[in-house]
Amino acid sequence: MSAVRERPRTDPVPRPEIERTPIDVRHIGQIERPLSGIERVWNVQIVRNLTVLVMFVVIWEAYTRIADIPPLLFPSFTDTCVAIVDAFRDHRMLAKISFTLTSLLTGYAVGLVAAAVLVSAASIWRVWADILTTATAMFNPLPSIALLPLAMLWFGLGTFSLVFILVHSVVWAVALNAYVGFQGVSPTQRMIGHNYGLRGVMFAIKILIPAALATVLSGMKIGWAFAWRTMIGAELVFGATARGGGLGWHIFENSELLNIRQVFAGLFMIILIGVLVEYAIFRTVELRTVRRWGMQR
Amino acid sequence: MAVERPPLLERPEFERQSLGKAATTDVARPLSLAERLANMDPVRKLTVLLAAIVIWELYTRTAEVPALIFPTFVDTIAALWKGLFQYDLATQTWTSLKILFAGYAIGMAIGATLSFIAVSGRFGSDILSTLASMLNPLPAIALLPLALIWFGLGAKSLVFVLLHSIVWPVALNTHTGFMSVSEPLRMVGRNYGLRNVRYVAKVLIPAAFPSILAGLKLGWAFAWRTLIAAELVFGAASEGGGLGWFIFASRNELDIAGAFAGLLVVILIGFVVENVVFRKIEERTLVRWGMQS
Repeated sequence: MSAVRERPRTDPVPRPEIERTPIDVRHIGQIERPLSGIERVWNVQIVRNLTVLVMFVVIWEAYTRIADIPPLLFPSFTDTCVAIVDAFRDHRMLAKISFTLTSLLTGYAVGLVAAAVLVSAASIWRVWADILTTATAMFNPLPSIALLPLAMLWFGLGTFSLVFILVHSVVWAVALNAYVGFQGVSPTQRMIGHNYGLRGVMFAIKILIPAALATVLSGMKIGWAFAWRTMIGAELVFGATARGGGLGWHIFENSELLNIRQVFAGLFMIILIGVLVEYAIFRTVELRTVRRWGMQR
Repeated sequence: MAVERPPLLERPEFERQSLGKAATTDVARPLSLAERLANMDPVRKLTVLLAAIVIWELYTRTAEVPALIFPTFVDTIAALWKGLFQYDLATQTWTSLKILFAGYAIGMAIGATLSFIAVSGRFGSDILSTLASMLNPLPAIALLPLALIWFGLGAKSLVFVLLHSIVWPVALNTHTGFMSVSEPLRMVGRNYGLRNVRYVAKVLIPAAFPSILAGLKLGWAFAWRTLIAAELVFGAASEGGGLGWFIFASRNELDIAGAFAGLLVVILIGFVVENVVFRKIEERTLVRWGMQS
């Protein structure tokens, strides 16, 4: 037993008492004050975003008007708005939007189902896991638009070729992300599932998908982005040959006719749909799930 | 206060005789060579690849699929060989890659500048987030008809649409990455007296690197797809060059084996960039810094 060394105790040093007089703080300036109405409005995010938008519209309109840019090169904002109203008035635009969206949603849905089947098989059998990883590594970097010339040869001109390349653009991105997400589900959570006696489909629905939802969702977002770009590209390149034609075809047709106002109108609709899908649909789903569950900030 | 303790139960001693034969088979045994090979990842992947090639070759040969619809693997390789050494597949590929690199480099510079402006103030951040969230969902290829009118046919229009496809994903991801750098890290940086460029370079960029790299990868994926699509449009509009044009021209001449050879080159380049270049960067940075496994 070692003895604890006793420290020599020192008596506390008494310090002299002091009393502070309040310092004059006026030289600091305002420390706290209620925000003015303008400042409170400026602190709202949406107001600032809208200001940026309005600013750009004003700059655009002023630039095209003052510099006298020919509308053949760059139409003014008001021209573009008139063109949008025109396009909607004779129902061409609605038909084109519905054509684009129908093909797109078909391709996206089929792609999601195919990815789900592939990933399920890969989670059960190791051979399928190898097949899936090899195939995604090979086909994910292959732009599906490059397959379009061949698809048109195999399946003819028409919606089927479009859906084929859309499925190709969706399936690999989604399958890759979902598989990586499933692999990353922690063994603890898996064991909880086994403990509850969950098997097969129920195991996937109750344990794997919720646990990997952040990755699965990001895969679905990337898949959507690829499909959206592929769709517009395909219509631009080969819209002339496929009957009907959608938004991409609207842009191509009008740029050939040098009707640039309508091209801008088409671009506006594309931006609108893209923003709606990304911020209204995917953002809402994220807010309701992964953000609410605290899996993503 | 004493607690009444229950008396200890005494269990009778006993001795087990034979336990019977254990119902297990091999508990542990050395793996055979075949099993050890099958456990190696590259071996399994190469097997899958080989199997796919064999099935392709057998299918096209036994079902006598016309070469105009689906050429055999051997034909495709022959066409690739011929394309590389007799036709101009190699120069077309180089044309594509040159434009791609130019667009990627300029796009990265613009994206970096935009996100630098965005971290410098709240209004800058608002400008970037509004613009990027509006323009990011716009497929770059949709701008090609306009670019052709503004800049004429040529590399300039291609670089313009490539820029559009790269700048927004890179800027958006970098910005989100910068915004979510944790407060302690920022304070450490300020404690060292870092400001402006040095603050961004020493604190923000390393801390937000996973998100920046994700943006770069996404930008690459979009740019690669846009470039091939744009060359297909050029192919439809005028005589251009590049890999997309090679595929389109081969298909138009019904040289399907040539189109397949073009696709193989596209796959190969994409594979090398995504699984070798970006993977190496990840290993050197994120994995080494312990931000990603």
